[in-house]
Amino acid sequence: MTRLVRIELLKLTSTRLTYGLLATSVGLTVLWTVLEASRAGQPNGPAALTGSAGQTSIITGGVWGLILAAVLGVTISSGEFRHHTATLTYLAVPSRTRVLAAKGAAGGIAGAVFGLAGYAVTLTVGLIFVGAHGYHLAIGAGTLADWGLGHLVGAALLGVIGVVVGSLIRSQLAAVIGVFVWTIIIESLIGGLFGSVRPYLPYTAATALAGTPLGSASFGPSRGVSGVVPLPFAAATALLAAIAVAGALVAARTTIRRDVS
Amino acid sequence: MTIIHIQGLRKRYGPVTAVDDLSFDVQPGTVTGFLGPNGAGKTTTLRMLLGLVAPDAGTATVNGLSYGDLPEPLHQDGAVLEASSFHPGRTARAHLRIQALAADVDQSRIEDVLDLVGLADAAGRRVGGFSLGMRQRLGLATALLADPEVLILDEPANGLDPEGIRWLRGLLRGFAAEGGTVLVSSHMLAEVAQTIESVVIIDRGHLLAQGSVAALTANGNDLEEAFFQLTREAVR
Repeated sequence: MTRLVRIELLKLTSTRLTYGLLATSVGLTVLWTVLEASRAGQPNGPAALTGSAGQTSIITGGVWGLILAAVLGVTISSGEFRHHTATLTYLAVPSRTRVLAAKGAAGGIAGAVFGLAGYAVTLTVGLIFVGAHGYHLAIGAGTLADWGLGHLVGAALLGVIGVVVGSLIRSQLAAVIGVFVWTIIIESLIGGLFGSVRPYLPYTAATALAGTPLGSASFGPSRGVSGVVPLPFAAATALLAAIAVAGALVAARTTIRRDVS
Repeated sequence: MTIIHIQGLRKRYGPVTAVDDLSFDVQPGTVTGFLGPNGAGKTTTLRMLLGLVAPDAGTATVNGLSYGDLPEPLHQDGAVLEASSFHPGRTARAHLRIQALAADVDQSRIEDVLDLVGLADAAGRRVGGFSLGMRQRLGLATALLADPEVLILDEPANGLDPEGIRWLRGLLRGFAAEGGTVLVSSHMLAEVAQTIESVVIIDRGHLLAQGSVAALTANGNDLEEAFFQLTREAVR
């Protein structure tokens, strides 16, 4: 299995798409964090950077790393059908479930890199803004480390879920659009309409792992909703892992068994 | 002794029967042409042999095992099925590096096969900029990477220029001369007639003829005439 994972990682590192997605993730994260930090303390903006609430919402805002990790996961699996490379992949490794498992592992590893890169960016930008205003950092080193771990785990699990989504929906364009629509529109709508369901939505659970306050990583109507508690670390991890495993089982029994013609 | 054994193979796509109760064998050390008009079921048959398409009935084996059961499939079967099965953003060398890792062969073999197929100078270029002929050559390099016993090729001459076709002919003959087995599908009858010793002819998923080229052309017909006679009779 180690060799299969190395093959998938070699595939990832040998195309420009991977680096382009990582650059996009970092660029969007910088833009998002700078805009949010600039609005801190203003009406309708995040809390002021003088206290832990404002600093937390900026430093844990590496959400584009999470979203782009899922997009990368989608390309890992659906790209095989888009470019007709599934033929060579399955000629080399006829067991399609082993290929799916290797792709899931590669998606998790690459996703973790995206999550850590996003966190490094938000942490750096956040510290620059806090320092530039001469404020005291109100968050301890242990908490900062926990958030780093959360970005890593959340993005890794979204990377795996992306692989599963790309296996279930072979059209790469449809699957990538689906990821953006789900994270930016659907979770926002569901989260805004049904607050009690909100912590159990996958993207929201991943942001909870990253330490993001509920709502500050959302888009649209669910951004202002409050009064709901995010899932604890272990529960959010278990939820995302369960979604990945359930989706992988469905894919293993349906789409990945289809003829490659 | 047979190396490829097809028995009672059947595949339907909705109302269309692509392959129907097809049986034939391929002997080791031969170059066997797998001939038929467009839509005859050649590609579907080869994909069933390689485990990419699940048959509705029948079996297809290499060395007595179905493709999925082969312990090291790339060391036993090298296949070229379509010239477009490469990531366009990947260089030829990066593609072969992945395939070498998949086949568990030494990376030094990459330069050998690049030289063999005449792509050494283009190895650092992205495949998206390759001509059809160059892609065919890269496909052959991929198939030969693990030094397989059997080559299974689907229309490998497509896109090759006359020099490339002559090179391919020599490659296949040399491969068989060293004990390898080649099953090559084609609709370019005049071309393939210069390379093959045995032939399997199918039409509409059915076997029309199997045997040596010499036996098929014993009545004075050339391979092309024999082929058209068989396919005309099948239509009647």
